[in-house]
Amino acid sequence: MADSNVVISQDISEKDMRDAFFDYLYDLAAKDKSLIFLTADMGALSLERFRNNLVSQYINVGVAEQNLVSVASGLALGGKKVFIYAIAPFITQRCYEQIKIDICGMRLPVTIIGSGPGISYSSDGPTHHATDDIAIMRNMPYINILNPSDSMSSEAAAGFAYESSDPIYIRLDKGRFPALYKRDITFQDGLAVLKRGQDLTIISTGIMVHKAFEIAEELAMYSIDTTIVDVYRIKPLNDEMMTDIISRTKRIITLEEHSITGGLGSAVCELMADKGISKPVKRFGIRNVQSAGYGDRDWMHEYYGLDVRSVCREIINWLRDCLCTKIKKY
Amino acid sequence: MLFQIDELQRKAKLIRGRILEMVVSANKGHIGGAFSCSDILVALYFGGILRFDPGKPDWSERDRFILSKGHSGIALYAILADLGYFPLPVLSSFCQNGSMLGGHPDRNIPGVEIDTGSLGHGLGVAAGLALCAKMEKRDYLSVVLLGDGECYEGSVWEAAMFSGHHELNNLVAIVDRNRQCATDFTEDCNRLDPLADKWRAFNWDVREINGHSFVELLDALKDLRLRRSPRPLALIAATVKGKGVPFMEGKIKWHHGVPSGENLDIARKEISPE
Repeated sequence: MADSNVVISQDISEKDMRDAFFDYLYDLAAKDKSLIFLTADMGALSLERFRNNLVSQYINVGVAEQNLVSVASGLALGGKKVFIYAIAPFITQRCYEQIKIDICGMRLPVTIIGSGPGISYSSDGPTHHATDDIAIMRNMPYINILNPSDSMSSEAAAGFAYESSDPIYIRLDKGRFPALYKRDITFQDGLAVLKRGQDLTIISTGIMVHKAFEIAEELAMYSIDTTIVDVYRIKPLNDEMMTDIISRTKRIITLEEHSITGGLGSAVCELMADKGISKPVKRFGIRNVQSAGYGDRDWMHEYYGLDVRSVCREIINWLRDCLCTKIKKY
Repeated sequence: MLFQIDELQRKAKLIRGRILEMVVSANKGHIGGAFSCSDILVALYFGGILRFDPGKPDWSERDRFILSKGHSGIALYAILADLGYFPLPVLSSFCQNGSMLGGHPDRNIPGVEIDTGSLGHGLGVAAGLALCAKMEKRDYLSVVLLGDGECYEGSVWEAAMFSGHHELNNLVAIVDRNRQCATDFTEDCNRLDPLADKWRAFNWDVREINGHSFVELLDALKDLRLRRSPRPLALIAATVKGKGVPFMEGKIKWHHGVPSGENLDIARKEISPE
């Protein structure tokens, strides 16, 4: 298994993830008039160019997510390549049945762009958090679930969705993150080993992959050597590559900004169960989905025990018995 | 294929007869609503309204008919089989193990445009198709049949608002106004009237017609491609649930039900072509 073209860089001048996606989508739409973009009254600065220059391909249907999905289905039946856009919980849950019947049931090439995966809209509160979207969308037939982790993979997600003839759900985050990939990334593998280590494997997705690097750095101080895997396509999971990764490791950590139920951790454990692989697994995610307060994303991570210190403490306690020779005290 | 009024009436009896036999052989089926919309479907498919070719179900220039009230799928199956989209004997497999004809239609059935069954989806999808035709300057129509009980779904009004705003005058919504839902009369459980005014308020042209009169149906549905109004068209078709079999007409219990014994004999006699 070859590693992807990994570049760990701290260059904060990298493009915003959402801008990377929409800039590339604009380029695609400018060349292909059959690409139609529908929004449920959700904008972005990087969408303004699309709205202003490609007027006939941009439609704001208003805050009507059910109709957004059904109209997208009709356009796709007519031969259009359709992208629909709204805040992640609204475009997955409010119109879940429309996605099931009108898009996935008929296997239409509609790409659902969910803005603000996980607790991206941190202080806006739980109505705006998408912490169970992976769980529910995984049950949709034919759908691909993409969760980019940097601007390169975000751009690549737009290209992958454009080329696909299947339904796609993209968890589109915003913000600038260190580059993990080079521009020639494709979405064919669905996952990438970004770092190799001996002691345990952290399997993560989306922006939490960056947290995995911070955790790995912290654990290295205690001589714990980690592998880091970025699952940028959660469905379909690359069973073959994931099985190989799991087979090579002693212990597995899953880390996601999503409910512990039904997300990436569940998918990994389901695969292990199906393959008859028995190994220690610890899942990090959101265990109490109803938040008790408002704060920024880092604050929310602390609240949910997803901050670096909390995760490391729990990992070290978990490993204490088997790695006592390496760990003195944390 | 253009039928005279008396031929349409005979065809409607034939279709109702086939619906009845499907329900009897499967021992299930939403017979009341299928009977209430049978004349509307016969007018659309045999009255020279819709453009289609049973030999080419995927013909790009066909009109798109969407049965949003998917529980009346048996009526559509009977029509499609009669037109030759699939062999007539397939009708007798309705709801049998392995049949392609289930209780609600899906796109795998030749002549069926989309999967329906859950209410409130068809108008939005049809609006997308109509918008697509506008974008590509093509003249195919999108015609949707909704139940009146279906109009309780909020998504119907999301789609209605969208269609009015985008001036989709190539979109026609026909409401099968039989005034009953599954367990109640619409005006008793959650008043729909003034239903026509509601559609008008969403920027639709509206006509109220007798959904069992082929004269009125054909008059309302003629020249749809030549409409000058920028608005989509809603036809509120007054119908009777269970139409064609007097003991079923207007009776809630025949929303779905299977006649047997003497009832079955009476029903067969009532709808057998003269």
